[in-house]
Amino acid sequence: METVVEVRDLKRTYTVTKGFWRREKRQVTAVDGLSFTVERGEIFGLLGQNGAGKTTTIKMLITLLAPTGGLCRVLGYDTFGQERAIRGRINFVFGGELGIYRRLSGRDNLKYFGNLYHVPPELRDRRIDELLRLVELEQDGDRLAETYSKGMLQRLQIARGLMNDPEILFLDEPTVGLDPLGARMLRSLIARLREQGKTILLTTHYLPEAEELCGRIAILHKGRLLALGTPQELKEQAGQAATLEDAYVRLVEGAV
Amino acid sequence: MKTLRVLGSTLLLQMKQSFVRPMFRFCLIANPILNTILVYEMFRNSGQTDFAAYAILGAGLMGLWGCICFSSAGDLNRERYSGTLSQIFVAPAGFQTILWGKVLGNTLLSLGTLLFSWLTAKLLYGASFPIRSPGYLLLAFLAAVGCFLSVSVLAAWLLTLSRKTTLYMNVIEIPVILICGFVFPAEQLPRWAQILGMVLSPTWAVKLLRMAVAGVPDRAAFWRAFGTLAALTALYLVLIRLLYGEIQKQVRIRATLEVC
Repeated sequence: METVVEVRDLKRTYTVTKGFWRREKRQVTAVDGLSFTVERGEIFGLLGQNGAGKTTTIKMLITLLAPTGGLCRVLGYDTFGQERAIRGRINFVFGGELGIYRRLSGRDNLKYFGNLYHVPPELRDRRIDELLRLVELEQDGDRLAETYSKGMLQRLQIARGLMNDPEILFLDEPTVGLDPLGARMLRSLIARLREQGKTILLTTHYLPEAEELCGRIAILHKGRLLALGTPQELKEQAGQAATLEDAYVRLVEGAV
Repeated sequence: MKTLRVLGSTLLLQMKQSFVRPMFRFCLIANPILNTILVYEMFRNSGQTDFAAYAILGAGLMGLWGCICFSSAGDLNRERYSGTLSQIFVAPAGFQTILWGKVLGNTLLSLGTLLFSWLTAKLLYGASFPIRSPGYLLLAFLAAVGCFLSVSVLAAWLLTLSRKTTLYMNVIEIPVILICGFVFPAEQLPRWAQILGMVLSPTWAVKLLRMAVAGVPDRAAFWRAFGTLAALTALYLVLIRLLYGEIQKQVRIRATLEVC
């Protein structure tokens, strides 16, 4: 197996300033000595409470944030300093309705991001048709994105994230706020991507979703690694819990 | 070719995005119309002759600068709030190229302010806009566009460092109009303000445009101003090049690309 994501003793702090006249600076630790690896072709889940450090970790991996300390490597390159070797080979999707140009059509959004990822025009146009079909937006591709429902925007985001045919796709709560049918459609899409050999790093609050999709899962708590293993291993680690959700609750409550 | 495609598609996207915003349309159309009326009326009662060209150019440039300020800088904030700033920042095309495409799109569209200013003066006051040295004007115009592009990119880069973009763009709009002599000669300002104006390239762009419109009897003076503008624009470009790497690092360290 080839390791495509390597995180060792990773740290990230934010400086928060308070006050107008007497500005006070305070350091907030979001990620505190995190270590894990992701192998090529696996779906790896990051679970944790709000503020556990999941999104910050993803942002460091996609080269959006600089780590404060530790090792953070993707495809063998440091995410801070060697980001140019990484950016064209990965992509990411954040949950919610942001990250799309709403005054462009779905197709024009994909076209623009295809250009930003240097996809040759012929391949780009072919891929746009394929992706619109894949996310079931082929009938709505020429409509302005501002007329899309939340679920449609989310699916368009997935299509955007696949425009450069990335080796690794980072998904941060991709099913947040979706109706059950939309969430199921997205899950089956992720499963299909796994069959195609894509590596996916996924964060979610829906534990059945993580159990269904992820080969291995890391549970984070206050920026630290609380547990790591397959869903079955995590259930055993939590004293033979019946579901991943039970295991998660026991592990997190035990750490509080 | 890849870079040209990125520049072209960003330019078109920017023009489309900007034009559908009511605020931009106000800056592009209503602002130069109002400015022209105000400036024209001010100069009409000043006792000066041949003031029409001064009023038209001044009002048009004020509108142009307003559009550039509220777009090049404001657009970064809009992208920040719509979640697309982080997407374009990490795209392999490079944020620098994308930023140039955005600024180019905005600047080209914003040049319309000069047209609206001229039309207002022509239709409301029957004012003429005689151009005494068309060749020099073309040169001055191209140099001015280059100047505004470099200033916009430099400002946009610096503003990525902070989330208070709206505050800063409001702070820079009016002082630049006054110090750079967009509406009245900068020579009327106190000495310290004149010195400040001299290191700002728009001052020289405005000076060149005025000279070309009024006629260029002193060619040496025109070329001196042109040389100064070219040198300042080159200096800004060097600054952009030097700051580029460091600002890219700093925005990732300070986490200023997104809303908290």
